[in-house]
Amino acid sequence: MAHDDMQDFATEVRRFLDAHAVKAPDRTAFTWGEGDDSMAYFSSLPPEADREHVRRARAWQRTRHENGFGWITGPPEYGGRGLTPLHDLVYDAVEAGYDVPDTGTLSVVGLGMIGPTILAHAQPHIKDRWLPAMYRGDAIACQLFSEPGAGSDLAGVTTRAVRDDGGTSRSSGAESGGAWVLDGQKVWTSVAQHSEIGLALTRTNPTASKHRGITAFLVPMDAPGVEVRPLRQMTGGADFNEVFLTGVRVPDDHRLGEVDGGWTVALTTLMNERATVGSEGAGPVAAALSPDRLSALMRATWTWDDRALRARLAELLVDATATGYLNARATRTLRAGAAPGPERSVSKLMYGQNLTRAAHFVSDVLGPRIIADTGEWGTYAWAELLLATPALRILGGTEEIMKNILAERVLGLPKEPAAAKEVRP
Amino acid sequence: MTADESTLRELRLSVREFLQAKSPEEAVRKLMESEPRFDPAVWAQAADQLRLPGLSIPEEYGGDGFGMVELGVVLEEMGRALLCAPFFATVLLASQALLASQDRAACARHLPGIATGRTTATLAVAENSGSWDPALISARATRDGDGGDGEGGGEGGWRLSGRKSFVVDGTTADLILVVARTVAGPSLFAVDRRAEGLTTEPMRTLDATRAMARLTLDAVPATLVGADGAGGRIMARVLDIASVGLAAEQAGGARRCLEESAEHARTRHQFGRPIGSFQAVKHKCADMLVQVELAEAASREAALLAAEGSEEFPVAAAVAHACCSRAYLFTAMENIQVHGGIGFTWEHPAHLYFRRAKSSQLLFGGPAVYHERLLDRLGI
Repeated sequence: MAHDDMQDFATEVRRFLDAHAVKAPDRTAFTWGEGDDSMAYFSSLPPEADREHVRRARAWQRTRHENGFGWITGPPEYGGRGLTPLHDLVYDAVEAGYDVPDTGTLSVVGLGMIGPTILAHAQPHIKDRWLPAMYRGDAIACQLFSEPGAGSDLAGVTTRAVRDDGGTSRSSGAESGGAWVLDGQKVWTSVAQHSEIGLALTRTNPTASKHRGITAFLVPMDAPGVEVRPLRQMTGGADFNEVFLTGVRVPDDHRLGEVDGGWTVALTTLMNERATVGSEGAGPVAAALSPDRLSALMRATWTWDDRALRARLAELLVDATATGYLNARATRTLRAGAAPGPERSVSKLMYGQNLTRAAHFVSDVLGPRIIADTGEWGTYAWAELLLATPALRILGGTEEIMKNILAERVLGLPKEPAAAKEVRP
Repeated sequence: MTADESTLRELRLSVREFLQAKSPEEAVRKLMESEPRFDPAVWAQAADQLRLPGLSIPEEYGGDGFGMVELGVVLEEMGRALLCAPFFATVLLASQALLASQDRAACARHLPGIATGRTTATLAVAENSGSWDPALISARATRDGDGGDGEGGGEGGWRLSGRKSFVVDGTTADLILVVARTVAGPSLFAVDRRAEGLTTEPMRTLDATRAMARLTLDAVPATLVGADGAGGRIMARVLDIASVGLAAEQAGGARRCLEESAEHARTRHQFGRPIGSFQAVKHKCADMLVQVELAEAASREAALLAAEGSEEFPVAAAVAHACCSRAYLFTAMENIQVHGGIGFTWEHPAHLYFRRAKSSQLLFGGPAVYHERLLDRLGI
């Protein structure tokens, strides 16, 4: 990609943002004791604030869309710009300098993962119906994948989809028309309470082997039988949901991909997940790994001269900085058009570990101030991050799964002998 | 000048092929028990065929003028092969000290010989404590008479007295740069190997692939290099560059340990299947891969920033030093672990990497030093 082309695009982005937003305040400089000391990784807003947050996110997405930045990499026939992932990176980098509503609720799952999946696997009229609406901010999409019995082993889903006439599916895929009835339970669904549609993985053929009896459907979240319940997490908030599907009727044209061919669809979604999880967020993440912030914390707690803590701080900063260098190398590789290495998976692993180590380091600096709230600025607030970090080693692919992937796909180590192919009822 | 990725790949391949032929494991093991600790014929070939000693020496002094990125690739390959040669001391320590001194006469006098491989060199800083901090040295330099022509005084006009320790290639280096204290403070001096009053004594080392020596200086004639009292500034620069060079060596060694472990995990069978199919072993190898990826990225980033003359370079150098030290030690240890009993034998190469990893980690002082250096470079 020509350098000038990127420069022109960046200029175009800046012009758009200058016209519709204000520059972000300098987030790097901070004064101890001033401003919001919240270290909440998950937003965990109360319902009305949450709804307002989503309203603003939708509105900003609409503005982006109206100005040609709604779907930078998408095809023009669905409202996209037809540009490259590099352009996406450029847009994000420029927008980071402006104070705009956070569109993560729409984009992390819906636009980043489900949109491309719909594009790849849905029927044309379904693409017409949903893609422009999603990238305009009118339709939010959620992921109905994980179940209580199907986490790391996602192919073990047991939510059933049965043809409305009661017959079983046939793998030929030539059958179409009619409807399906869905029954089951999904878990860890973020954004479900705001979503217009959900991408559901269902079991359509219990007698086939695990990966070959799955079908993917787009489920309208306002369909009768869809019940969304908040899932209270360890931090006290409820940023995720359980979604119960009871006799939910879904037309066959909402099926993505072939009957019993849903695993391929799932892989499309998951490949895009790796790209979004593991990218640095602002706020608590930046603070937790910021040399200035952490040294200020140590000075404020009179621990700056503690050699053991200084050594741990140094190691933490080595990890955080080296992970950043790894991400920079991945971007360079992408820019050069070469095949990516294992950087993304390594980076995802390091993200959870870095934040976990940071949270525990800060805890050790704070000592008792993190176990009970003294009211002092910038102390007990870190408890929220501490309680959130266990999730980072689990969601989006557990550490153990990531290590299996690295060892098997990068180092060529053999898989465990014949894994279970049958789904336990 | 910097080369692009395909040129770097070619450079890596040519160095790797050369080292596979000239520095296979048998050669390393033989040299580990020899004096000198390197093969002068191989050193000459490295200079004549591949122009390695002069790779990063500026063109005006007879080198090829490449930067830290190219040098990093060469050092990764040398680390991978555990090459026994005076390359690190000559190129990363002594040449960098000459360049950092900004003493053009000294550079013109010594660098051309270094670039062609005719002159090997080293840098003597640490004393008994092993610290490379110039503020802590006590070897002293005094004016020879009143700048007059005392017999044997040499053109330098100075005399050095004291003891140096942990001097890499100290018994074989033709040129020894010494940091000694004048009235103005720590300063850099050039000493010839054959100088009167200089005694060198090899030290027994944990890592026999890197020779070290004790030096005793008894009124040894020396020439001042750079400004009087500039030793602190010169050493800060040298340590930044040398630690990036060391980081590249460490990254290369770590990658080799990972490869050996993965190969063993794929082929060693126990309980009827390859041991790499057991998750504990699999995850251990994945952990090693993570460390190697971080190490290579950190080493490369620091080299890039050095080549650009970026003000972010000192931080990157400290990060690379810490990251690569840890990665190499971790992978060297786990490489033994993956191999089980055989990894513990003298005949298996795993312990050679372990020794090099541990020694490299501690060469400039180890975690106690590089942690504080990072915090200092970050300005926090």
